[in-house]
Amino acid sequence: MAYSDKVLDHYNNPRNVGSFDKSDPRVGTGMVGAPECGDVMKLQVKVNQETGIIEDAKFKTFGCGSAIASSSLATEWLRGKTVDQALEIKNTDIVNELSLPPVKIHCSVLAEDAIKAAITDYKKKQGVLTPEAVAVH
Amino acid sequence: MPPLPRDYYGFFGFDRKLAIDSAALQKRFYELSRQWHPDRFGRKSAEEQEMALEATSILNDGYRTLKDPVKRAEYLLTQDGFPIAEQRGKDVPPELLEEVFELNMMLEEVKSGDESARPQLEQSRQHFLGLREGVDRELLREFQRHDESVEASPTSKQALQEIRGLLNRRRYIENLIRDVERALNPVTPSRPAPG
Repeated sequence: MAYSDKVLDHYNNPRNVGSFDKSDPRVGTGMVGAPECGDVMKLQVKVNQETGIIEDAKFKTFGCGSAIASSSLATEWLRGKTVDQALEIKNTDIVNELSLPPVKIHCSVLAEDAIKAAITDYKKKQGVLTPEAVAVH
Repeated sequence: MPPLPRDYYGFFGFDRKLAIDSAALQKRFYELSRQWHPDRFGRKSAEEQEMALEATSILNDGYRTLKDPVKRAEYLLTQDGFPIAEQRGKDVPPELLEEVFELNMMLEEVKSGDESARPQLEQSRQHFLGLREGVDRELLREFQRHDESVEASPTSKQALQEIRGLLNRRRYIENLIRDVERALNPVTPSRPAPG
């Protein structure tokens, strides 16, 4: 199976690889995994607490090229968004952007789950965990 | 001749239980192997010869599946409407993910030639082997719960659900052990188990 050019680009030059201090109150951490393939993805956001805007995002993914590309793309999209806008990112957006084939759709689902987990973690730290934020999970 | 039962339990004439006596299973396997041996069908019609061939194939697949507790559980679960693959990662407990992540970081270090992570990796291997043992113990407990409950009852379904989660966890841990062992012994070819 051939990867799309965009997947290859993110795979060869992943954006925003790294991590933030998990205990920082401005940081939300999402850790997700897929038992079928053993992929594990950590995605973190650093939020400006006054504006609610995500100022930086980092990730580290162990998995296939599509999983790395999905999370790399997600961090690019997260920067500059508010936490609520971040929750609107859908896995189908990632599928379309990267032209993922059907067998790799679960990678985009993983990335969406990671975003939601990171935002939920951030909100939990802020003590503003709303029922909606729990429900999206 | 009546049509062949496709279902492995039916073919072996076993109850649909998750705990199976391996000696009884082996005995039945040998009986059926003799019964369907192609040599006994040499003078029979082409139709019967074909049936014997098919029976042998079901028999071998069935034996391979039923003698392994994990494969057996996966088989029964799929038949009872709990397909394994359809589950998402939500069943993986967060602390396990954390460990998996750390493990992958170590694996990356060792692969890049940093030998200092090696002792830690050996520790991880022991740790994950222990986790797998724990899962196996839980599996046996749930097997028993399933087998003692009435078929298709809420308790039985609950046990199957529980087993599905455990099997997914087990598969995950299994993959990790494989990765660690590969990193620890990159050139050693895998030796067949004794016996």
